[in-house]
Amino acid sequence: MPELTFKNLSKSFGSHVVIDAFNATIEDGEFLVLLGPSGCGKSTLLRMIAGLSEITSGELLFDGDRANDWHPRQRGVAFVFQSYALYPHMTVRANIAFPLVMDAFKKWYHLPIVNAVARRRLMKSPDIAARTENIARQLELDSLLDRRPASLSGGQRQRVALARALVRNPSLYLLDEPLSNLDAKLRTQMRSEISALHHKVGKTFVYVTHDQVEAMTMATRIIVMNKGEVQQIDTPEGIYNNPANTFVARFVGAPPMNLVPVTRKGRRLATSNAQAWNHDGELPDGERLIFGVRPEKLQFLAWGQGRMPAQVAVVERLGAETVIGCRLVSDEHGGTTNLVENDLVFVRISGNPRTKINEQCSLDYHAEDVVWFDAHTQTRIPVRAAAPALV
Amino acid sequence: MTSTIALSIFRYVLIVALVAFAGFPIYWMASTALSANSELYSTGQVPWPQLQKLPELISAMAGVPIGRWLFNTFLIACGTTVLSLLLGSLAGYALSRFRFRGRGLVGFLLFMTQVVPEALILVPLYAMFITLGLLNNLMGLVLANVGFSLPVAAFILKSAMDSIPYEIEESAIIDNCPRFGILSMIVLPLIMPSVAAAAVIAFFAGWNEFLFASTFLMDRSLWPTSVGLASFIGQYETPLSAVMGAALLFSVPAIVFFLLIQRQIVAGLTAGAVKG
Amino acid sequence: MTPGSSKWLSGKGKAIAPYVFILPPLAYLAVFMFWPLARQMWLSLTDTRLTNPNGGSFVGLENYQWLFDDPEFYTTLNVTVLYAAVTVVLGVALGTISALAINRPFPGRPLARAIMLFGWAVPNVAASLIWLWMYNERSGVFNDMLASLGLDRVSWLTSTHMAFSSIVAVTVWQVAPFVMLVVLAALQSVPDEVREAARVDGADALSVFRAVTLPHILPSLQLVSLLVAVWSIRRFDIIYLLTGGGPIGSTSTLVVKIRQTAFESHELGVASAYGAIGLILALLVAFVHFVTDRRRQKWMAQ
Repeated sequence: MPELTFKNLSKSFGSHVVIDAFNATIEDGEFLVLLGPSGCGKSTLLRMIAGLSEITSGELLFDGDRANDWHPRQRGVAFVFQSYALYPHMTVRANIAFPLVMDAFKKWYHLPIVNAVARRRLMKSPDIAARTENIARQLELDSLLDRRPASLSGGQRQRVALARALVRNPSLYLLDEPLSNLDAKLRTQMRSEISALHHKVGKTFVYVTHDQVEAMTMATRIIVMNKGEVQQIDTPEGIYNNPANTFVARFVGAPPMNLVPVTRKGRRLATSNAQAWNHDGELPDGERLIFGVRPEKLQFLAWGQGRMPAQVAVVERLGAETVIGCRLVSDEHGGTTNLVENDLVFVRISGNPRTKINEQCSLDYHAEDVVWFDAHTQTRIPVRAAAPALV
Repeated sequence: MTSTIALSIFRYVLIVALVAFAGFPIYWMASTALSANSELYSTGQVPWPQLQKLPELISAMAGVPIGRWLFNTFLIACGTTVLSLLLGSLAGYALSRFRFRGRGLVGFLLFMTQVVPEALILVPLYAMFITLGLLNNLMGLVLANVGFSLPVAAFILKSAMDSIPYEIEESAIIDNCPRFGILSMIVLPLIMPSVAAAAVIAFFAGWNEFLFASTFLMDRSLWPTSVGLASFIGQYETPLSAVMGAALLFSVPAIVFFLLIQRQIVAGLTAGAVKG
Repeated sequence: MTPGSSKWLSGKGKAIAPYVFILPPLAYLAVFMFWPLARQMWLSLTDTRLTNPNGGSFVGLENYQWLFDDPEFYTTLNVTVLYAAVTVVLGVALGTISALAINRPFPGRPLARAIMLFGWAVPNVAASLIWLWMYNERSGVFNDMLASLGLDRVSWLTSTHMAFSSIVAVTVWQVAPFVMLVVLAALQSVPDEVREAARVDGADALSVFRAVTLPHILPSLQLVSLLVAVWSIRRFDIIYLLTGGGPIGSTSTLVVKIRQTAFESHELGVASAYGAIGLILALLVAFVHFVTDRRRQKWMAQ
């Protein structure tokens, strides 16, 4: 069971740097999700683990052994491709059995005719046939074994790809956006199936996705990447509650964390326009800050009841909960309201309130729910937790 | 209105003329064969095929060793096909999948072979075959033919391989498939139509070939159909019907296959020139 | 991901991998194509004779000297260039007309199309046989037709003023179908909307052809012209079987001359010198194609 270690791993195509000095350790049995927008280098990283892409510099260690130049087959990995990469000319059975047949392949089977005979023989050998059918049964593919990939639905193809990965019983599973070609409903279903699979086989999974919901629901740990650089490595809770920087804060969560640039003067916070209010909790040093708060932590109140006056711009009713997008407004004394920020501030509340667009309202928050970022570096500024609250 | 009618009449007249020009020689070949007359030179020919004379034609053709010739032709064509596909798939795969030093040069060399007249290497090959004992030998003929059909096969297979997603091959790598296995078990089965096209082109290149065969094969028993049929030219008394019958027999497979996969053949023959 | 990033084999093996694949075909071509080519260049500088093809001594440019002093050489060069040029013009013209004629559907189109491809599909030797018989002076079908019209018989293949045209007719019969297929494929890529838009704008059939259709098929025409020209320079069997290069060299192209000089006059050195000229000619055609192709692509990119 390998423990994967990356030491200053880098990848560049010519002068274009795709991954810059990646450092991390993936422990045995983990479900690690590489999360990031497209082009952030996460797929390249996965391909380097598999041995499909060359490592430009740095080291990749399998249980402490340098594996940079190992052939994919030495690494004992299974790879599920985004496009599934099933062999279109083979039946489902032959697709699933292919890795097993290859493991038993001898040099002289390369001869034409011998090749076809040998492969058919191997596929029918009791061991391979049993393992193929066993995996097929687990993934409910037993009725499709003699069909070809072209006649399968997207979800079925996905399952064949998983079966082909599972059948060799490898110690490391690499999955490259395996659900991105499925429709939303099927994606939810496959998400839980893959999670269940991970629990069952108890092996290490490295899963690449740009979908933060997949990351949050499946991962034991997440690595958030952007432009080839690691933004944060943490558990889903850690990533969600304490994002390392504004990128992570915006990328994880739907709708994302509200980020409002503010100027601090003593305990008073001022937005770029005239709006200002007094903060009641701990405040970091520095003058120019970014005030971050999750939508579900904001309170949606009537006009004048909260510290942040606002106007409703969007109402999204999701049934059990409602997401309201508000614009912060200034001049609570005069009759007119001036819009402050173009960015909407989102509030997530349960139930289905009768809120109308353009309605005047106000927002408020608890000091301990606020995450602070430096306006210049965009990184989080840790603030001592409001420990005295107990006293 | 009248001009469009005139135009469409003109079009049909044109089509009829073109069809007549293209089809008449073949029609005449059949008609000559079925006249089953050994004295055509003096008596002239009935312009329509006389199907009732088919038995006479068949018995006349017994005088031409067409069976032997077709068998030799078939052997040459098969050898050319197998060797061209074997080497052409390797070259096509290397050109399609690898960026290596000298790739441009290899492409250019392959293109060159499409420009070089066969007659140009006739003399050196002749000298070489004497040394190697390949003169008057079907294998030697195949070796000479493949030099010209291998690049065509390589270009056809390369452009077909270009359309296979890399992920399928990478998946095979992960599945522990050996290097050549990826080519033989994954890539080639996936581009079967193009492999078939390349095979047909190579097969009929060997089937139709005349220059090398007429130069390298002295032994009558080794002659392919092309050389055998050509040997009647200039002879004082030619069994014309029988020869035309044999020529027809020789042409039918080529016509059938060319018509069946014309599109792939055209794509294959133009592929090399587009990407040198 | 990026194709080039695919890492095929581990470590050191990776650098050799492409050569493992390219080496066998390349070695084959080296032995059976490029070595003979190089050797043929060498032979052209020797006085090698067929009776002793591996002997012969270096004579410098003597063979070329001999060639350039021989009026037959200029006839041959002339015939070759003229033959290539005429077959390109007529073959491409007839092929394009055929393609335009059958591009739009009409009853019987598949059959007409199939028949129009016969010339291309028939093996050269079979084609030579039938044309030889049709051209036959005493009882060939062409002269029979002329006779029944009360006209004089024509020496299709044995008179200096007819032989060249007769050969060209057979060649056009063979290459026009190929041109037709290429042009038909190109015509299918002409968007109907553009053609209709031009027609709506009041353009007549000829203007539509010149403004819309022709630019679309032009690259294909150029490509097919190259192929037809190269094939004409390479073509041996039809000419050799129909006229043998005669009468008086009026249909003697370079390749026919090479074979005759080598295997009938046994002068391998001179034959190789002819071959060198042939190679230069073929490469020249390919070069012109590449230059114009690149220029056109540049022009299209602008």
